[in-house]
Amino acid sequence: MITTGIDVGAKTVKVVLMEDGKIRGKAKVLSGFDQEESAREALEQALKEAGLAREAIGSIVTTGNGRKAISFAKGDVTEARAAALGAVFLYPTARTVIDVGAEESRAIKCDATGKVLDFAVNEKCAAGSGAFTEAMARALEVPLEELGPLSLKATQTIPMNAQCAVFAESEVISLIHSKTEKADIARAVHDGLSSRVVAMVRRVGLDSELVLIGGVAHNPGFVESFKRTVGLDDVRTAAEPDFVGAIGAALAAAE
Amino acid sequence: MIEQFKEWYVNRHAYARQWKERTGGKVIGTFCTYVPEEILVAANMLPARILGSHEPQDVTEPHIFGMFCPFCRDSLAQGLKGRFNYLDGVVLAHSCIHFRQTFNSWRIHLPVEFSYYIPMPNTVQTDHARPYHREEVEKFKKAIEEYIGRPLTDSDIDRGIASADRNRRLLRKAYEYRKLDNPPLTGEEAMFMATTSQFIDKEEHSDAVEATLNSFANRKLPRETGIRLMAVGSENDDAEFFKMVESVGSTVVIDEQCAGSRYFWNESTANGDRLARIANRYLDRPPCPVKDYPTHSRFQHVLNLAKDYRAQGAIIMQEKFCDPHEGDNPRLKKYLEENGIPTLSLEFDSTNPLGPFRIRVEAFLETIRGEELF
Amino acid sequence: MATPTKYPTAPLKCWPKAKEIRQQYYKDYAEAHDRGGIRWSGGAWAFDAVPMGLGDDVHVMTGEPYAASIAWDRKFAQECQDATDAKGWARDLCSYMRIYWGSMYLNRFFFGGEFPKPDFYYQSQICCSHSKWDQEASLHEKVPYFCVDVCVGPYETLDESRLNYVVKQLHDSIAGMEKATGRKYDDEKLIAAVHNECRSTSLWAEICTLNKAVPAPLDEKTMFSLYVLATLQRSSKQVADYYEELRDEVKDRVARGIAAVPYERCRIITDTQPPWGFLKIYRYMEQFGVVSVGSVYTFGLEGIFAEQEDGSWGPRKTPQQLGIKIKTRDEALRVTADWNLSRPCWQHFYDPRIKTRMMLKMVKEWKINGVILHLNRGCEGLTLGSMENRLGLIEAGVPVMTYEGNMADEKEFDERRTTSRIESFMETLGLKQIPEAAVAHAA
Repeated sequence: MITTGIDVGAKTVKVVLMEDGKIRGKAKVLSGFDQEESAREALEQALKEAGLAREAIGSIVTTGNGRKAISFAKGDVTEARAAALGAVFLYPTARTVIDVGAEESRAIKCDATGKVLDFAVNEKCAAGSGAFTEAMARALEVPLEELGPLSLKATQTIPMNAQCAVFAESEVISLIHSKTEKADIARAVHDGLSSRVVAMVRRVGLDSELVLIGGVAHNPGFVESFKRTVGLDDVRTAAEPDFVGAIGAALAAAE
Repeated sequence: MIEQFKEWYVNRHAYARQWKERTGGKVIGTFCTYVPEEILVAANMLPARILGSHEPQDVTEPHIFGMFCPFCRDSLAQGLKGRFNYLDGVVLAHSCIHFRQTFNSWRIHLPVEFSYYIPMPNTVQTDHARPYHREEVEKFKKAIEEYIGRPLTDSDIDRGIASADRNRRLLRKAYEYRKLDNPPLTGEEAMFMATTSQFIDKEEHSDAVEATLNSFANRKLPRETGIRLMAVGSENDDAEFFKMVESVGSTVVIDEQCAGSRYFWNESTANGDRLARIANRYLDRPPCPVKDYPTHSRFQHVLNLAKDYRAQGAIIMQEKFCDPHEGDNPRLKKYLEENGIPTLSLEFDSTNPLGPFRIRVEAFLETIRGEELF
Repeated sequence: MATPTKYPTAPLKCWPKAKEIRQQYYKDYAEAHDRGGIRWSGGAWAFDAVPMGLGDDVHVMTGEPYAASIAWDRKFAQECQDATDAKGWARDLCSYMRIYWGSMYLNRFFFGGEFPKPDFYYQSQICCSHSKWDQEASLHEKVPYFCVDVCVGPYETLDESRLNYVVKQLHDSIAGMEKATGRKYDDEKLIAAVHNECRSTSLWAEICTLNKAVPAPLDEKTMFSLYVLATLQRSSKQVADYYEELRDEVKDRVARGIAAVPYERCRIITDTQPPWGFLKIYRYMEQFGVVSVGSVYTFGLEGIFAEQEDGSWGPRKTPQQLGIKIKTRDEALRVTADWNLSRPCWQHFYDPRIKTRMMLKMVKEWKINGVILHLNRGCEGLTLGSMENRLGLIEAGVPVMTYEGNMADEKEFDERRTTSRIESFMETLGLKQIPEAAVAHAA
């Protein structure tokens, strides 16, 4: 049976089709105002990629910020559960899953079956999620996808002193005015974000096998900074980090 | 001379380690500025105040929730990062709930040989606080005696009192120079001098202050004094901030902060026996707003300082989430302004975002100068 | 899935009476001056037995329950907080205080009419915000302020000198009240009030202890409406009598196996004030068969507990139960000082480990499966040490969830995220929604 997982995120909707533990198709679209509409669109795309008809799919389970908004789903699972299931499916030894999304980030401790044992979520603060890098990329006048590669060229580490996203933005501007290299500022931005994320991870403990998932894990600048902040070289990043939640939801749909 | 203080400030941990090696004495971490240091000095210990580093950190999240002040978290981070691992003991004299968490997490997770909590009165204005606090100082003394395994003699205590008072007296003298039209020291330098007195051996520090005082006669700063400012607020040993403020046409000539004048302002006076003398000194000092009840006795003191040092404006430095100060500041601000001292309120989160602050400080200085903006 | 056990439920008979007492309380306060009476305001932790010696027509309004009442009305709560913000106060200050001040600045009483100006403010001083609260209120209203410093360390270290410090201040406060009101103080009335205070707070502890039963006769959401009477005026005879009636009814519920939550299969405790505007999160948990049987907060904010002979936690014996006869003002003040200093919710102000011990006691004796801690941005005093409590509980193997919110400022509470977090926690505890409970909930 083909099961479907839909991760209705704050910024994008991700769909994954699975059959017998294999991914058959997937798609990602931007979340519009109408989350259900975006979910439908993503589902259509995934079906197309898999060469399947709508009738071919069995149960649909949603997760993510808009998981309750999808009327055609059978049910929904929490973001933590989906992340843990997906991560353990991809990396069976994973016990700590760090999910950094556009609007929210979370750290999850789980067991070998993907059962959530403990979790922490970043509180209502943009400085601990992808929204932070977005705002800072704007201030730096750099496209978001270039911010990460840019920060890898940094030659020095300067602290991002402002802990709040609004203040950080004006600090970035001050740094630009004081002729600080953009690459160094980009690194400071990622250091600021990863310091927030690591602080959260410490709540569940920083001791077992880590996997980074969520859209922000695409950003090499963040990943580099995260490794430096936790002092670990061995941090795995999921190959397609933004699809892990949807995979987890598809697995839940098979249960 | 005066450079010594900055060096101590920057290398405080190396100093403490060397002190320990050199003297064989115990180093006791003090939390806030209400611990009766006289007793520690009497026991040949080094009281070293726990302060933060003003660097971003990510280690306190499991211990102190983010709604508590950044200073208490920054300070705990220093412990968790192992920077204070030379401490033999920790002591807190009851202050605010924020910093009590630093102390508690510290004694839970960073075990030391000696830890002690002094239930220092919160209402320092009541007469009943005096006999009560004397008893508590006595209990503390006994605990220290038990720890070191010998009684503290009257002459030990007298030495502790004399040493603490000498340091206070000298710091007051140094602050006197800030009243001059062209003070021989900047606010940043004064901050280094005052703050280091909280973790450097008292006699050594006093000697350095004395030597610095002697050098003032010939010291002329190659800078304009500019607008004379006062710094009022919570725990703010924000050196970078003072440096920035003094780089844009002003000089901080006086402070009312626990990293500065509130800590050393008054000497002890003979009123009762030795322990009463010590206890009362802490009840009579310029209070932290956490202890200033039922009236705002502190306001008059702040205004007096502003007048005595001819401050043209006051920067109210508010540590974010610091309830005691937040509970005073709107009225304090109004009080100062009604008495002719314009104010600028800034919220600090222990790190120093200098860019945004510079804009505000410059605008404040412009209004004091009465400059037309356009 | 097999249908889970369904316990019988029944509404609480003395529920309406609690509501009446509460309504009468605010009415009496508002009208006290019309009848030539005295009114005072302050905190729910003030030594409320002490002003009772001023006469039978002394009425009090404690600030925290007053602000919590307003928190239910999100619009007025917001107006009050805006008024406080406008005066320049920081937005992260205690949200009860910001609401109370706002109501005072706006001169609007939540229960109608102008804000009733008290004759004096009376407060105990353990929380940094409490002390500032009434300092500011007394300055604004231009009335005297008497505060009693109770920061003498945890109860387990109390000694003569520490107790005396509190008692001497209580004596002073009586002198201050006599001066402020021009009344002569009656020690007999004080003694009666102290007696009632001990009675009502020991009874509340007894009621909480009855919740050790499975199924729990009371759920925390219901307890919120009951413990509040002690926060209004624990020294009043009416409150003490009410708790006696309630105790008897709860005892009867236990005997008959009456449950608060029909599908109880998982028992939790929480901590600190909940976000008052969103108590439905408790109802949401019921759909999973979860009952919150209380918290150190609901139990120990006013309930006075002590270790029983068998080592378990239960009500502290009142002086009367111990055969102690209070004869003088000084004796009465010593009793009330000692009694209040043993309050469970005052201990974590000194050391979080004392509270962790209480929580672990609750976990064991109240048969708890998990703990939900509200990281309450509106109350520093009760959230103090919460993260260390969390670590202590986890170390002891107790599952813990935390969520951020604010008891009275809805801007700091995110309902969707909190519900989602609760759902994850339910998964962690191995619980799924019970369809029958969800249906009942929807109805």
